[in-house]
Amino acid sequence: MTVAAGLGYALIALGPALSIFVSVIAKKPFLVLTLLSSTLFWLVSLILLSGAWRAFLPIKSSALWTYVIVIVTSVSFQEGVRLVFWKLYKKLEEMLNAFADRTSKPRLFLTDKMQIGLAGGLGHGVAHAVFFCLSLLTPAFGGATYYVERCSHMPFFLISAIISLAFLLMHTFSMVIAFNGYAESRKSDQLFVPIIHMVAAIMTLINLAPGGCAIGVPLLCISAAVTLQYCWMMVCRRLREN
Amino acid sequence: MDQTLVSDASFSSSPILETLGEEILRILYPVSFCMFLVVLLVSALISSDNSSMSFSSIASIAYSESSSDSFWSKLSGAFLNSLLFIAVITILTFFLVLLFYLRCTPCLKSYMAFSSFVVLSFLGGEISLLLLSRFVVPIDAFSFLLLLFNFSVVGTLSVFLAKAPISLTQGYLVIIGVLVAYWFTLLPEWTTWALLISMALYDLAAVLLPVGPLRLLVELAISRDEEIPALVYEARPVDTQASGRRLWRERRNFEGNPGSVSDTLRHENLTPQTTMTITVEASDEDSASTELVAPLVSQQPRRQEIEAVEGIGLGSSGAIKLGLGDFIFYSVLVGRAALYDFMTVYACYLAIVAGLGVTLLLLAFYRKALPALPVSIAFGVLFYVLTRELLEVFVVQCSVNLLISGERKRAR
Repeated sequence: MTVAAGLGYALIALGPALSIFVSVIAKKPFLVLTLLSSTLFWLVSLILLSGAWRAFLPIKSSALWTYVIVIVTSVSFQEGVRLVFWKLYKKLEEMLNAFADRTSKPRLFLTDKMQIGLAGGLGHGVAHAVFFCLSLLTPAFGGATYYVERCSHMPFFLISAIISLAFLLMHTFSMVIAFNGYAESRKSDQLFVPIIHMVAAIMTLINLAPGGCAIGVPLLCISAAVTLQYCWMMVCRRLREN
Repeated sequence: MDQTLVSDASFSSSPILETLGEEILRILYPVSFCMFLVVLLVSALISSDNSSMSFSSIASIAYSESSSDSFWSKLSGAFLNSLLFIAVITILTFFLVLLFYLRCTPCLKSYMAFSSFVVLSFLGGEISLLLLSRFVVPIDAFSFLLLLFNFSVVGTLSVFLAKAPISLTQGYLVIIGVLVAYWFTLLPEWTTWALLISMALYDLAAVLLPVGPLRLLVELAISRDEEIPALVYEARPVDTQASGRRLWRERRNFEGNPGSVSDTLRHENLTPQTTMTITVEASDEDSASTELVAPLVSQQPRRQEIEAVEGIGLGSSGAIKLGLGDFIFYSVLVGRAALYDFMTVYACYLAIVAGLGVTLLLLAFYRKALPALPVSIAFGVLFYVLTRELLEVFVVQCSVNLLISGERKRAR
């Protein structure tokens, strides 16, 4: 609608990420580098995914099953890539600890590890928000707005911003949960992350039904809140144990 | 056991996560800021249907592109353009090496002053005029000329006077980079991409081949213990606290020169430098400029004085220098990506940052002058093509999926 509206939509999607960045990540240069590498990593995974699906797009039929397959394969691929990310992080942790030993500084604390996990997750969330919401926002800076048929309650940009916000929060904190789950080998943590990701992704299919976004979008926000709550409980437990 | 002892006493020594990677970030922020400004300028000033304005420059004398040409004629014309440009750059760089060899520093200094003044006043003036007319800012001609003149003179002085405040120099270098990069994005599309790829290859050849002009320049400078005469962005730390922490490792004789206050302040502000740069500061030799391309050099202190950190390559405590030509061509790539869509901008930005990171890692590994263009430009071009072809379709499909497409054809 105007520059103000465009900025508003961008901030809805990325505001919490910006505040996490300024309060936690900007203070430690290493976390900024982790954030950038993580964003790049997930961008590469998105490109690979889109490369694999390129031959089948654009989906001409509006049949439900094609979208289900797209979503299920995308989520499973991303969860698999998360395991690769974890392996890379383990190597990085060894190198960092070796460096700390060499320069006679303390090894990585638990909070340090969690912060690296947070930065990695924020990279994932930012990659999702930027490529699924921010890059489509360019028309919003102009003089008009856009409504989609099936969801005429709110402009397209607002809905996409809210969905990206939910996914950003979900991705950011599920990385912390996942790292903790792999480090402690707790099955409940390890399984929680893929399940909530899959559930949230499937819930977006509700948006396909007419007027469904009135149900789908709040459900997505609820799942983001569930992730936040789970992460909070897990972090409290770990910190109390230490 | 030692672990707990160390962690109990850890309050005196900071954890590694606090300071690791700081030097890289000090180069990354100005590069990102330069790219951001160019993207802003491009999106504010250039509209997509600009083909009526024929932009002739040295980079398009052989072939001026028009959108109606065939694919092959565009491709061949673009490469012809870039070859001519590279030829001109090579001749000029060899000429500059010759001047440096003959110790003709007044020539180099005056050329540098002239070029930065021209860029700041003429290019800066032209772009400010475009901005003023775009945003309808009321200002009269005399005030504008006065401001512009002051701006360019201060910029010229700060860029090659060694005594200027570091932030001012860095700021003006970034502005010069932004202005030249914007100018380059005005070139037609195929020529721009061909130019970027050719410049990356030229950089690779000029720095790594034994006969390359930039390698000759670096070797001459090292053998004479002089600073390379170029427009180079040096990422010195701006806050004294950080440099104070590093200084104890340095063992240099930094008895503050009981000369002027600015001298001692200067020395306190330095990160561990090699003798190369210290002699430069002492002898007050101004750095002149050459063509825009300069290799990426890391000034490393001597080996026995730093703890080697080969495993990560992030802890090198030298001040990283990045040539202004690298700033310019990174921003040209991102600016050209901005002319297509913002998704390509984000992808290309990440690609360039990744390339810069890889180059810095290689720098920490090899510890000699390396070309900063090839890796980043290669990643940038690759990601641009991939995003444009693959990602965009996927993302648009998915977002449209998340919210029901309005384009679904229904029988009405």
